[in-house]
Amino acid sequence: MELNKEKVAVIARNISKTFYISEDSYNTVKKRLFNLFNTPKPKEVAALKMMNFQIDRGECFGLIGRNGSGKSTLARVLAGVYPTDTGYVKINGSTMLMNLGVGMSHELTARENIYVSGSVLGLKIKEIDKVFDKIVDFAELREFIDTKIKFFSSGMIARLGFSIAVNAGAEIMFLDEILTVGDIKFQEKAIKVFEKSWIDGKTVILVSHSMDVIKKYCQRVAYLKNGVLEYLGDAETAVNMYIAENK
Amino acid sequence: MISILKNWVRGSNKLERFWLLSKIEYKLRYYENKLGLVWALIKPLSEIFIYYIAFEVIMKAGIPHFVSYLFIALVLWNFFVESSLGTIQILATKKYLYEYTNMNKIEIYLSVIGSNLIGLFFNILMFFVYYIFIEKGMYVSWHIIFLIPIVLNLVILSLGFSLILSNLYIIAKDIQQIWLIIIGLGFWISPILYKLDTFRAALPGLEYINPISNIIINARNVVLYNHVPEWGLLFWGLIYSVFFLLIGLYLLNRLGSKAAEKL
Repeated sequence: MELNKEKVAVIARNISKTFYISEDSYNTVKKRLFNLFNTPKPKEVAALKMMNFQIDRGECFGLIGRNGSGKSTLARVLAGVYPTDTGYVKINGSTMLMNLGVGMSHELTARENIYVSGSVLGLKIKEIDKVFDKIVDFAELREFIDTKIKFFSSGMIARLGFSIAVNAGAEIMFLDEILTVGDIKFQEKAIKVFEKSWIDGKTVILVSHSMDVIKKYCQRVAYLKNGVLEYLGDAETAVNMYIAENK
Repeated sequence: MISILKNWVRGSNKLERFWLLSKIEYKLRYYENKLGLVWALIKPLSEIFIYYIAFEVIMKAGIPHFVSYLFIALVLWNFFVESSLGTIQILATKKYLYEYTNMNKIEIYLSVIGSNLIGLFFNILMFFVYYIFIEKGMYVSWHIIFLIPIVLNLVILSLGFSLILSNLYIIAKDIQQIWLIIIGLGFWISPILYKLDTFRAALPGLEYINPISNIIINARNVVLYNHVPEWGLLFWGLIYSVFFLLIGLYLLNRLGSKAAEKL
């Protein structure tokens, strides 16, 4: 099957992922030398088992499943942050993974973080200059702009991260339970821009435990159970399967 | 071919990003403390002072223009140490850059090398100020253009070791201690403090095994002695450095791709 680059955002073919967790911290040269003949057997955790699918450009794609079902691992694999063990993931465009924070250095000021993040997301300096004020005002951090963010509260950091993501976001956004940032007033604002600037225009992969959110925004939903892709299709069926599992 | 490359660079923001990350890295290193840039200059000066007392005043090694001789070698050596030892934990400290996006990790390495190059530039500038205005009986000739391939060689070598060490760090956390010992040994088996003839007579062939030797020997040839580089050493050095860079890139692919989950 020839894949149309214009139409497809992410393709996953035969992907699987297993984590090997060793009992003690077995990662120094010294330990390796001393245990040359009795290497401890690491525990295997099959986080994702063989799956195949693609995400179209401009689509809002939902990921649901219970804790430990592999949602977050799948999001990271699709975003290109984790490598897969088998198969391949092809990503057409820049990606950004958002859970409570985005990638920010605590040693840098808010201003520097905006420029670094913006640049990593693919913007040119001039383009960042243009959205800079919007980012600062949206995050409500005007008077702390030249403060290192290690002195920020967790709420302030979350707001800054969210604001960068909204105004400078990547082409493909992975949102892991993000509509819970900040106080109620900020959340309302967040949901508004979420609907306005992401749902129309960007490819969004939404990871959530809130079935209302999933049903409201997602055209297609993947339902995961113990690392297996149990269902992929319309939101209604996937949500019902998830609810049935929880009973 | 070149126009494709040009369009690619202009179309993307890679160059801008490289410069932005390098500047921020440089600022983090030197502007965070009160004395700022002064520290970057004090370090080589204090080292020269110590070795001058030890080798010229006490041991009377009798190397002509010993301060310049030391100065140029130390500047290059320190660049190598900072780029290798100083970046072992880079994948841990810069995790915020690749943990949330599909940014290519090699850009992180290039930006750190870029920031170290800013430092090297100031140090070399300082060397030439000393060399031209204070050192007596020495002059600069056109041969210093050969400093460009020599520094390029140093950059490739440093990038190679930076990649090798920081990726090994993912599976072996004590690589830092091990490298500290190797660097400590390396300093004394490099032709930094000794007369070149003595060094070659005592440890024949070592200038080919120790990858930093050819850089120091040739830098002195072109700057102090107004001479062309020793071509054999220069080309051997370049091949040697590229070899380390390839190992580094291989490790980045094998181990570095798992950095987000292992660190």
